[in-house]
Amino acid sequence: MNRLERLVNLVAALLDADRPLARAEIYERVPGYGQGESARRAFERDKDALRAMGIPLVTEPLHPDGRDPGDGYRIPPERYRMPDPGLAPDELGALHLAASTVRLGAAQGPGSPPEAAVAIWKLGGATGGADATAPLAALPGSEHLAPLFSAVGERRRVAFRYRGEDRAVDPFRLSYAGGHWYLVGHDHLRGDTRRFRLDRMESPPRPGEAGAFQRPPGAPVTGPPAPWLMGDEDEVEALLLVDADQADWAVARTGPQAVRERRADGSVVLALAVTNREAFRSFALGFLDHAEVLGPRDLRDDMVAWLDRMVEDAPGVPAA
Amino acid sequence: MTRAASADERLRRLLALVPWVAARDGPRIEDVCARFGCTEAELVDDLGLLFLCGVHPFTPDTLIDAAVEDGRVWVRFADWFARPLRLTAAEGLALVAAGATLLAVPGTDPDGPLARGLAKVAAVLGVDPDEAVGVELGAAPPEVLAAVQLASAECRQVEIDYYSYGRDAWTSRVVDPHHIYNAAGQWYVAAWCHAAGGDRIFRVDRVRSARVLGSSFERRPDTGAPPVFSPRPDDPVVVIDLPPPARWVAEEYPVEDVRELDGGWRRVRLRVSERPWLERLLLRLGPDARVVEGDGQARRRAAERVRARYNGKVSQP
Repeated sequence: MNRLERLVNLVAALLDADRPLARAEIYERVPGYGQGESARRAFERDKDALRAMGIPLVTEPLHPDGRDPGDGYRIPPERYRMPDPGLAPDELGALHLAASTVRLGAAQGPGSPPEAAVAIWKLGGATGGADATAPLAALPGSEHLAPLFSAVGERRRVAFRYRGEDRAVDPFRLSYAGGHWYLVGHDHLRGDTRRFRLDRMESPPRPGEAGAFQRPPGAPVTGPPAPWLMGDEDEVEALLLVDADQADWAVARTGPQAVRERRADGSVVLALAVTNREAFRSFALGFLDHAEVLGPRDLRDDMVAWLDRMVEDAPGVPAA
Repeated sequence: MTRAASADERLRRLLALVPWVAARDGPRIEDVCARFGCTEAELVDDLGLLFLCGVHPFTPDTLIDAAVEDGRVWVRFADWFARPLRLTAAEGLALVAAGATLLAVPGTDPDGPLARGLAKVAAVLGVDPDEAVGVELGAAPPEVLAAVQLASAECRQVEIDYYSYGRDAWTSRVVDPHHIYNAAGQWYVAAWCHAAGGDRIFRVDRVRSARVLGSSFERRPDTGAPPVFSPRPDDPVVVIDLPPPARWVAEEYPVEDVRELDGGWRRVRLRVSERPWLERLLLRLGPDARVVEGDGQARRRAAERVRARYNGKVSQP
């Protein structure tokens, strides 16, 4: 008996059932299981395979009144069937183009079809656009993305470990910026909106009950997190002078609203709100000697002290 | 396809394909294959098997009817599979993220078919597409990005004024832009550089201006997006011991080797082609990192140069 055939028959039987089916009934109704231990093993394997592809195969008591113990299985059709989104052909075509030109690093192992491709199949498949074989954009994947996406949609509070602390976060949004995925949400530990880098999460996020929170109106929903704003420190306004030949690039990075002054020689003074001084220092050092921290005083002093230690330092080669 | 599809993968496709075919009156085989990414042989195989499927007691009225005739296919009596399976969270996320990414590409119509399709899919998933997933593809001057995209699409050469971050210098050069892509949150042009006489990768946000030329180039067969940074094997090696707060370097930079040391320190080995690139890394890592192998003076010299900027009085704006 072909395994695919057995799987198709199993799904049909469980969708067709208006009550949970006991294992023995399943072995009887679906050809190919045989009997005894081998049947049990084959069914376990099939059950796992179906659940892994998202089929809502549920376990329910055979007799809800409790007159007999024992569980049975079925697939509730209303949870299996996707409502028709009513996509027009050009809309499906555009989604297909997106799915085939944007590579999201696979959470699945290699060899499985990409999730976005399976999604397009389910929506009816689409032709055209697939000839664009070269990806336009490649985004990293993360095992946390799908569970967090569910949590955002279902408004489930998530718990995870981050920077050595246990966080409870109301997830508002997944945000991709600067090459990394972030979760944006209300952090109950800090009592404020925070961003968390997915690849820095120290435990898988555990979702709580659905509908656990309301997104506050006007919650920040846009904007890439500038690294110098990704901190818990008291906010200061830093002034950074950037030389003319790096000015355009610096402004592209910070946004034009940060420009405090444009000087006659083409250099710019950027005013940046900083809550992570270390990240700000890294940003400033990226310009090497084409930039200078003008203020405030303590940020400038920090930079000078940082550089002085490296100037005075021994060559940096430790004793063997 | 060189690899035989697994039963799981074939089932996934079949459960998507059957509702589509069943809702139509004999679509053509090649259309079905193109839509669902399979070969004709695979499709005929799977439909032949579907023909034997159904529910107990497998009498003719409880069996699926599948037929292939004159280059067309029919599926009937498959009411269990009248609708496709719901999208999983991973599939929904993948599609919404792909759509949001393409929408973030400058020049995409924000109210076009993609935005409309995305909104409909998101509604089925129960999320608000504008709120659930945000994608920022990195700052690139829109006119530069538009110019290199146009040049690439029309196979025309382009002259760029480029800031080489690695060498800390501006240069003007003529390039053949083979491929424009976004990776690690930045826009890149993979091009043949006539000044260097070789393939180079340019970051679009470091292009000050781009001028599309009349001269054309011949596109090579595409090999997919090249890696963002590929060290050459003859680049000099630097080995750095990182204190615990700087362990991240191993994640953010293309290191050749990482070794765990005592006390949470890490020893990383990198290949460095350009001096300013190394200088930035060392200055950011700071005084606690230790250069174990490579130019032991590089950090001090770079620190002195930057430090010299801080000798004068502050000219506050």
